Amino acid sequence: MAAKLPPKCPPRGDHPLLEKVKQTLGGAVLNHGVTPEGHLCVLVPLDKIRDVAAAVKNMGFDHVLSLSAVDYAAEGRFLVTYIFASYLTPELRSQLLHIRAEIPRDNPKIASIADIYPSADYEERECHEMFGIWFEGNPHMGKRFLLDPDCCVDEKTGKPLYPLRKDYKVPDWGLTG
Amino acid sequence: MLKKAKLESLFKWGVRWSLWPVHLVTSCCGVEVAHASGPGFDAERWGVLPFHTMRQSNVIIVEGTVTRKMAKVLKQVYEQMPEPKYVIAMGACAVRGGLFWNSYHVVQVDTVVPVDVYIAGCPPTPEAVIRAFMMVHNKIKGKPGPYVEPVKVDLTQFLPPPPKPPAKPAPQQVQQAPAA
Repeated sequence: MAAKLPPKCPPRGDHPLLEKVKQTLGGAVLNHGVTPEGHLCVLVPLDKIRDVAAAVKNMGFDHVLSLSAVDYAAEGRFLVTYIFASYLTPELRSQLLHIRAEIPRDNPKIASIADIYPSADYEERECHEMFGIWFEGNPHMGKRFLLDPDCCVDEKTGKPLYPLRKDYKVPDWGLTG
Repeated sequence: MLKKAKLESLFKWGVRWSLWPVHLVTSCCGVEVAHASGPGFDAERWGVLPFHTMRQSNVIIVEGTVTRKMAKVLKQVYEQMPEPKYVIAMGACAVRGGLFWNSYHVVQVDTVVPVDVYIAGCPPTPEAVIRAFMMVHNKIKGKPGPYVEPVKVDLTQFLPPPPKPPAKPAPQQVQQAPAA
């Protein structure tokens, strides 16, 4: 019996920001929904993430609160989630905006938004280190940021391994006995 | 000879009552160590003075999770301390990995430095920290072992007797089919 995968977009619902987001993003909205916490979630195509980020910045969301990925190994995809928030716009202070995009697992590349949102820089570097997603345009790709340089490296080939991928195996350091 | 023995006992007495720990706060156990040195528990009654530099102290408390990056720092700190020195591994993470026991980036403390006393708990209470220092005292005196000896208690005084196992069912006789 296959495990039940979490949905890539929560079920649809009414949200005060929905009309405005649809107008601003135009045809970039593939799917949308409302999370259980009451925040709007939008699935956008992979190649339009920079346009979406610029449009969201014009709406008044001034920083990236979080950036993470989910490894859907059975489908061969990563789901990247950007969470935008606002300090300066008073009517948006209670809102978080989730923007999601799907990436193929065999060629995990997505455009970097670190020049639009400087707060996404560290998040992208961490996500690259943990999942191996290449953020094109970020100058720090391919370097170690949080992990130890000796850790998570393939002993035979010397290539880096990505510890939060589903196919990563934790080496036996005597802790698991 | 007599003089040397006397001096050694004096030396041990001095070490015993001036155990100054380094704070290596890698995780939340550091809060409990701070609590142990505060006015409520006042570990300085036993000579435990948290000190700011490792070159003038002789105990290192590893307070929590040690990652592979932090293990290098731990080794450096340990090598800079003067002899005699003691290591206390505090909390489930330092003892066995704790919550992160099968993680990709966590090491056990005793693979990095020799550990004298382990404190169990997540996090351990300030009393447990003081008890660990008492164990270091005993070790310096030459009598290593647990600070608290377990007491044997006859539980049948307080608890009802355990239920008896159910009687085995009698083996049923197989009825043989009558010969045709």
